[in-house]
Amino acid sequence: MEKSNKFLLIIIFLIGIGIIFSIRLYFLQIVDSSNYYKAQAYGSNEITLNPPRGTILDRFGNLMVYNDALYDLMVVPDKTLETDKYTLSKFLNIDTINFDKRLKKAARYNSRQASIFYKNLPFEMLTSLQEIIHQFPAFYIESKIDRRYNIQGAAHLLGYLGEASEKIVVEQPYYKPGDILGISGMEKSYEFYLRGKKGRRVVLVDKFSRQQGSFAGGKFDSVPIPGQNIFSSVDIDLQRFGEQLLGNKIGSIVAIEPKTGEILSIVNSPNYDPNLLVGQERNKNFARLLIDPSKPLFNRALKAPYPPGSTFKLVQALIGLQEGIIEPSTTFPCAGGYRMGSLTVGCHAHASPLDLENSIKNSCNAYYCHVYRAILDNPKYGSVQVAYKKWTEYLLSFGIGVKTGIDLPEESKGIIKHNDYFVKVFGKNWRSANVVSMSIGQGEVGLTPLQMANVAAIIANKGWFITPHVVKSIGDSYFVPTEFKEKRYTMIDAKHFDTIISGMSMVTKPGGTAGRTGIEGIDICAKTGTAQNPHGKDHSIYIAFAPRENPQIAICVMVENGGFGATFAAPIANLMIEHYLVKDKKAPSTRLDLYNRMITTSLLENSVYNPK
Amino acid sequence: MEEKLHIDWLTVGLYIIIVMFGAVNIYSANNTLEHHFLFDFKMEYGKQIIWMSASALIVFLVLLTDFKFFNYSAYGIYVVVILLLIVLLATGSFNKGAQAWFKIGAFKLQPSEFAKYATGLALAKFLGTYVIKFEGKRNMGICFAIIFFPMLLTLAQNDTGSALVFLSFILVLFREGLSGWWLILGFYLVLIFVLTILYPSLYIIIGLLLILTFIIFMYKKHKQLIVASILVVTLSVGFILSLDFVFTSILKPHQQQRILVTLNQDVEEYYANKTNGFSFFKVELPKKEDKMKSKRDYSYNVRQSKISIGAGQWIGNGFNNGTQTKAKLVPEQHTDFIFCTVGEEYGFIGSVLFIGLYLFFIGRIFYLAERQKNTFSRVFGYSTGSIILFHFFINIGMAMGLLPVIGIPLPFMSYGGSSLISFSLMLFTFLKLDANRVNELSRFS
Repeated sequence: MEKSNKFLLIIIFLIGIGIIFSIRLYFLQIVDSSNYYKAQAYGSNEITLNPPRGTILDRFGNLMVYNDALYDLMVVPDKTLETDKYTLSKFLNIDTINFDKRLKKAARYNSRQASIFYKNLPFEMLTSLQEIIHQFPAFYIESKIDRRYNIQGAAHLLGYLGEASEKIVVEQPYYKPGDILGISGMEKSYEFYLRGKKGRRVVLVDKFSRQQGSFAGGKFDSVPIPGQNIFSSVDIDLQRFGEQLLGNKIGSIVAIEPKTGEILSIVNSPNYDPNLLVGQERNKNFARLLIDPSKPLFNRALKAPYPPGSTFKLVQALIGLQEGIIEPSTTFPCAGGYRMGSLTVGCHAHASPLDLENSIKNSCNAYYCHVYRAILDNPKYGSVQVAYKKWTEYLLSFGIGVKTGIDLPEESKGIIKHNDYFVKVFGKNWRSANVVSMSIGQGEVGLTPLQMANVAAIIANKGWFITPHVVKSIGDSYFVPTEFKEKRYTMIDAKHFDTIISGMSMVTKPGGTAGRTGIEGIDICAKTGTAQNPHGKDHSIYIAFAPRENPQIAICVMVENGGFGATFAAPIANLMIEHYLVKDKKAPSTRLDLYNRMITTSLLENSVYNPK
Repeated sequence: MEEKLHIDWLTVGLYIIIVMFGAVNIYSANNTLEHHFLFDFKMEYGKQIIWMSASALIVFLVLLTDFKFFNYSAYGIYVVVILLLIVLLATGSFNKGAQAWFKIGAFKLQPSEFAKYATGLALAKFLGTYVIKFEGKRNMGICFAIIFFPMLLTLAQNDTGSALVFLSFILVLFREGLSGWWLILGFYLVLIFVLTILYPSLYIIIGLLLILTFIIFMYKKHKQLIVASILVVTLSVGFILSLDFVFTSILKPHQQQRILVTLNQDVEEYYANKTNGFSFFKVELPKKEDKMKSKRDYSYNVRQSKISIGAGQWIGNGFNNGTQTKAKLVPEQHTDFIFCTVGEEYGFIGSVLFIGLYLFFIGRIFYLAERQKNTFSRVFGYSTGSIILFHFFINIGMAMGLLPVIGIPLPFMSYGGSSLISFSLMLFTFLKLDANRVNELSRFS
């Protein structure tokens, strides 16, 4: 071979290398572009940025629910070679053996990535650690957010948070396993507003999954949008007061501002401290609450239908008036009860006969037996069954037997039976006499305390109500859902309410069923109820609104096994009304004795829930 | 007489472009988001700037030196470097499994980088001596001895990559008269080698025997051909068996696995087959930690390297924007895998332009070597070109997953002081010789 030919051969060889490399590059970079996507998957990691959850305030802007920062000491075990164990363990109040144990545990998990070294640093430890932590490059302090409640009660109203269940993760792709969301109460129903919007940061990771900065210059990143703050309609002061009054008793209080439908307080007893369901002890506490025989997790105010007792007479009277069965001046005789063959509905001693006003004042059972039977036997409808249907329609318009639509999860619709139920029990041609106990709110009728309070609000408004709700406004724009602005009219004309109201006003005046608990200077319109029940002593029930002109508050108090309506429910409700209306909120000095008697009396001894 | 510098400015320009481009890529490979400073002399790209300055100084000194110095002191330099290699073997400090460094203060000197230079000089000196040609057993033997002595010393340091580089001198010898058949034989041996690794040796031997039978049957009359064929096949069988033996019994697991990974073999499956009686020699299964090491180091490096290059697509992510590069997903990216950065950040177009430019640069060196009027300069020029070509070919081929992972740097691009300085020294020594070619003829020949 000629020598210059060999030079040419070498040049051809060089060109050959160039061609082979270019072809290889073409396949790597152009044809096999899946490598590129693999590259993305390998090189990036998506980090979710959780926004701060919105806080919940009361109607006057007092903080009820907020976020608190917790601090963990994190460690990257790989970087701990030169750590001064002795100094650091002294700051943490642990010995070096414990220190090594924690380090080993962290290293077992992942020696290159950070894991928790010391959970929930106490505040004093935190401040001293913050000053020296820079000396320990393997360690850093990480903050996380936990929910805090400014009130030891109102748990059913505010609700609690929990981890997203598998079902939720499947149904709502927004949530990823391990996400925290509202499980009950306002935390649940306003989850959408409170949670804000998650942001994300796509970061580059190296081969050890260590972060190396943002991916593609932050092109895919988004900033988390903080959750919106929510003003609740609840008055935190009234709420606390109610919880105090109802302590040691079982029952609930619902107070509504009639003209807005805003719930002022929603008290359940037994209750629990919502702070129990946050932090490390959450699961333990939750299990304890779950097996507690007094059922503290049960939201009685919304989910327990009670026989309304005599408070139901107001509804019966209104339906009677609307149906033209009675007039304000209509009287019925009462000789210690209502007799009908073998059946007797007893009544207590009062003058007879009574007109409508006085039947309310004295809570005459016989009067309402007459009224109810007359409603059902109204010849206008041809049969009891048709009349009964008409009657239930009235109730539905009161929000009875149907969910009121309150903005809290898991509301009961109460109990209203339909025709087929009575057909099953009494046969096809059942008569008004079969169901006469319903005339006085016993038997096949059940209302939740919320529904009873709503009845009081309806009467205060003379015929309409706004769906009860616990939200006052949402976010910085003070947004109010439209359904909480619409008046819902009952089937009762406004003119029929005056007599009822004046009868209710007489209840709290001397001679009325709750005459001894009335408050001077406030015209409270009320109705007591004493509901027989299969669980023991009668339930003490009271619904009221005040003042008579321009009512500010409608209330229902329900004390299980509390006896007469006037015994517990009435004084508690009237104290609540006074507390709310008298803005000068010093101690309830005028009626300190009543207040003291209420808060000190325990009914738990008689309760079926008494663990003893 | 006032010497005019007839230096080949085109090569100098290409050199400057490649070195600068190298620094830019080292910067990018270094500059993860944790390090934002433009000049941080603790980082490799910062140090590379120091090495570049040192190289510039060396280049300046080389250009000042009388061109005759290199000819006169060629053997001296060779002997000094050989001595250094021997001393290193005796006292060298450990580094990455290869005993290849001298530690002088903060600096690490890698004599094997300079050994190529010295060998080039010595070979040029020998072949450039009056009346000596690359002919005859004695002269050829001396040439091979000059090449293989430092090569064996480097190999003894466990620096297989650098040792293999000495094979590039074969190209120089080819230019100086070595028969082309040797190159063909080399290719044949590589082919047999690959086949032996890939397939059970028995199949290859049977295949070779079938071909031999075919040749005997078809060319009954050509006795010479038949004899030659029988000889080749016999030698091949011997080669296959010894190769099998060397591969399974002498090569260390990590070396076996490097080769297997390059040949796209599943390491475990390979060993399973080998132990199933396909091989004539029993294979000792690699220990568990060796297997882990192989997965983590060799297949992982190559896969990450290919992903990085693939991520570049047509135009790449642009300077300092390589996602893979930034994430430090490719090990040794600033040294042996510097081409990944080029591939990812400048894409197909940039990479092809780069390869074209680099090959043009190498071609230019061969062109300059070819135009030398004396043997010393020509041989040294060919040595320079061949060594750079070998590095380039192996390094880029490795980054693309075409060749086994052999840890040798990309000249003028990869981070490393010894590498940059020794290559600059070599290149500018040759350019200095080239600059004086006009007045050489009378002095040497």
